[in-house]
Amino acid sequence: MIAVELRKLVTRPRTWITIALIDALPTLVAVLLALTDIGPRPGTGPAFLSAVLSDGTLFPLAALAMVLPLFLPVAVALTAGDAIAGEAQSGTLRYLLVRPVGRARLLLAKLVSVVAFVLIAVVVVAVTAYVVGALLLGDAPLSSSVSGTALTQQELAWRTALALGYAVLAMLGVASIALFFSTVTDSPQGAAMGALAVLIASTLLLTLDASQALQPYLPTRYWLAFVDLFRDPILWRDVLRGVVQQVLYVVVFLGAAWANFSTRDITS
Amino acid sequence: MVAAAVVLLAAPIAVRALPADDPEVPAARLLVAAQASGTVAYSGYVESSGTLQLPVTDQFSEVAGLLGGRSRLRVWWRSADDWRVDSLTPAGERDLLHSHGLTTEWDYEAERVTTTPRSEVRLPRSSDLLPPELGRLVLADARPGEVSALGAETVAGIDAAGLRLVPAERQATVDHVDVWMDPDTGLPLQVSVFSADAAAPDISTRFLELSTTMPSERVTRFVAPPGVSVDFDDVVDVAGAAQRYAPVVAPRRLAGLGPRRGGLGRGAVGEYGRGVTAMAAIPLWENSAEPLREQLARTPGAVVEADGSSSLSVGPLELLLTPEAFDEHSWLLLGTVTHPTLERAAAQLARRALMVAYP
Repeated sequence: MIAVELRKLVTRPRTWITIALIDALPTLVAVLLALTDIGPRPGTGPAFLSAVLSDGTLFPLAALAMVLPLFLPVAVALTAGDAIAGEAQSGTLRYLLVRPVGRARLLLAKLVSVVAFVLIAVVVVAVTAYVVGALLLGDAPLSSSVSGTALTQQELAWRTALALGYAVLAMLGVASIALFFSTVTDSPQGAAMGALAVLIASTLLLTLDASQALQPYLPTRYWLAFVDLFRDPILWRDVLRGVVQQVLYVVVFLGAAWANFSTRDITS
Repeated sequence: MVAAAVVLLAAPIAVRALPADDPEVPAARLLVAAQASGTVAYSGYVESSGTLQLPVTDQFSEVAGLLGGRSRLRVWWRSADDWRVDSLTPAGERDLLHSHGLTTEWDYEAERVTTTPRSEVRLPRSSDLLPPELGRLVLADARPGEVSALGAETVAGIDAAGLRLVPAERQATVDHVDVWMDPDTGLPLQVSVFSADAAAPDISTRFLELSTTMPSERVTRFVAPPGVSVDFDDVVDVAGAAQRYAPVVAPRRLAGLGPRRGGLGRGAVGEYGRGVTAMAAIPLWENSAEPLREQLARTPGAVVEADGSSSLSVGPLELLLTPEAFDEHSWLLLGTVTHPTLERAAAQLARRALMVAYP
């Protein structure tokens, strides 16, 4: 079942078109920076974008900071929202369950497929950005942390790997919310919109002083905390909170998805 | 599973809701302990917020950001002459490192390192928002009759003792200041400044994490990254430049306020008042004064008088910029004193400031 879902994911053109669209923005930004040599003014651009004119190898992190707030979550919400609701809308869900396949196993297979999509999307963005950054942008490695202290290439590499892993976990939180909505409705668009509504509400509430008490629990609160991995000493505070929070979102929404899907009537 | 998640979510809220143990230390003893806490080494994470919307010009943008927004700070404080404060932003950080009388500023996004000598006159900067620095500043000249105990509150995991300062001066615009401190060391952990009738503090700063272990020497040292040049500025900001170059000496007393104790020697910039009732008079070159004047003219709530002076009141902070007063200079008066006090000061400066030859 899992192999079938993974094969379906990688052979479906929609997967690669979505990833190509996510990739297009950072690639366009890299081309514009290379052509104009004009970086963002301090305090105005995404994280690391000001540094890539000197050191193009940092562009994967800048690309991550660009796609993480909007493009990547939209793609993940669409993919995860389609997982169950898409089968229901096309009328294949009940046929899938007619086979000797448990509902939990089907949900697990769909989850693995969504996780694979998140991993592929993040890795493709990072690799493309590395290649584009190395070819088009600065070639004088800064080798310094955000705090200005020296970092070896090995330190930079493992911190980058941690940042990518952190982004994957953040997107798994989105995937869990969308997967839950996907078990609630037969409309994949409705499921994706439900997840995106949660994220938009979270982003809005983060700008309000009146919602300060709620903010530590909002799903987007710690997404960009991966920048703290590049401070010296590393500031673990928000990173650890982000990890715990996303794990909780995954546990709660996957649990809810499983509880709902295993008990609902399948009519389509 | 869901129940376990709910328990996990609720646990921190429940722990925070537990009442702190009140150490029941008399207010006068807390005051002395806070005033003497300057030798305590510490490190930690601080969040501050301000609601004072000041006009933004190139030379005052950092002050406007500090007093009118949220700041996330990391600090390693070994002593008053060996410390580091990182001001964190979503996309980078601006660090101040001070050692051997020199302050180095690292701006990641601008890839810029600037070193300046210690300046007895300067505008507020991120390190001034640290609870120990702000707490000691407001309590420096406080008298025992002005303070009262507040009970206890948990700050950064410590059962902190509270002290309320109500300034006695009639010119004061600060209604009260609440300072929460470690009862063992006297180190201020949280400071909230309130103007009259304010339900929420105008400025608030608190530790969220704190250690009183001496920070490592390594962490307060800075070596510029390869390829980044180090600039040396002999003045730290527009106030430092005024003190050094303006051809004038501010009066010793102004608007009924005496010179600030432990403040400046006589120079172009005057510092007056006591504790939280403070006023500064800064002679600004017109190339600094004019953008500020234009910005004030566009700022809601600012008042432009017929004589050309501009004034603004934001929370407890009052500001008055005179028209050109002498030799292409205007006086910028600002402080936590009433508007009539600033007007009186402006009138006296027009009569009593002492002109000197350029240094």
